[in-house]
Amino acid sequence: MEDASHDDSWKTWFQLYGPKLLLCARQWTRSVADAEDVVQEAFVRFWRHQRELPGEPMALLITSVRRAACDLARRETRRVAREEWADGGIEDPAPVFQTSLEADDRREAVEAAMRRLPEEQREVLVLKIWAELTFEQIAGELEISPNTAASRYRYALAALRKELTAADCHG
Amino acid sequence: MDNELSQLEAELKALRPVAPARHVQARIVRELGRGEGAARVTPSARAWWRWAAVLPAAAAVLILLVFFVRRVPPASVGENIAATTAPATGAMVREAESAPVFKPVSAENVLYAVADEGLVTLDDGTAARRERLSYVDTITWKNPRTNASVRWTMPREEVRVVPVKFQ
Repeated sequence: MEDASHDDSWKTWFQLYGPKLLLCARQWTRSVADAEDVVQEAFVRFWRHQRELPGEPMALLITSVRRAACDLARRETRRVAREEWADGGIEDPAPVFQTSLEADDRREAVEAAMRRLPEEQREVLVLKIWAELTFEQIAGELEISPNTAASRYRYALAALRKELTAADCHG
Repeated sequence: MDNELSQLEAELKALRPVAPARHVQARIVRELGRGEGAARVTPSARAWWRWAAVLPAAAAVLILLVFFVRRVPPASVGENIAATTAPATGAMVREAESAPVFKPVSAENVLYAVADEGLVTLDDGTAARRERLSYVDTITWKNPRTNASVRWTMPREEVRVVPVKFQ
């Protein structure tokens, strides 16, 4: 650590970006623990080597998170073959959003509906809503066209609305 | 987008993602406090011969670029007089402006191989798995005034020692 101000500086950054990065990491990992490992690795890499780079810090951090998640997935694939590791992947039941007493049922309904979204729609939704990336940035990150990103986003919102409306009717 | 979707969008934006557990921050403190040559990320001694080949080449490219960028066309006599009679601060500003300024514009790390080196025993007797990861790092620097750019590509190896728990 260089000095106290440096220490405060990265902590401020981490408090600001950490929750969003964790949410994004959870789209590309199998468990919360893996997502936390990925966020740690990506943040340290960003802070050491990339924070002076021009451009949007969040976009750089997301790139770093995705790369770390891909690296982890590659390693895990090899390990799974040896250890026959089986788990629920994205079905990890740990809450994704902060709980609040008055709207907890609604949060659970949103989380459940999000889990049922196709993966490619869910990742675009997360990158747009919580990482606050533009469609151009999302397109660059996921190697798709901006139009595709925008379409997936609209499909995701429409599917969520349908699920939540059905849940309201039954609940 | 219709009004109902906009409402849903606003509702989603109001949801706050869960923060990483406190131990993640503690681990980052340890990682950032650790030097580049720390136990978790250790450049392999075997990579040094590659560094030895890459570093002089990169240095040579940089020196050539600096040499070409600093070559200013010869000024006329009148300009020379103006330059010598100009206030010192003006001359300093021009000197600063003409100095090559290379700024990093992108950094990329590509993982191209992972080798599992099996179980090892640490000094404290605990078992750990050792993995060797091979990367190619590419850093691009650019001088915004001249558009000159330098790309520096170097191989890097990381050795990770991950404690193993037997249940």
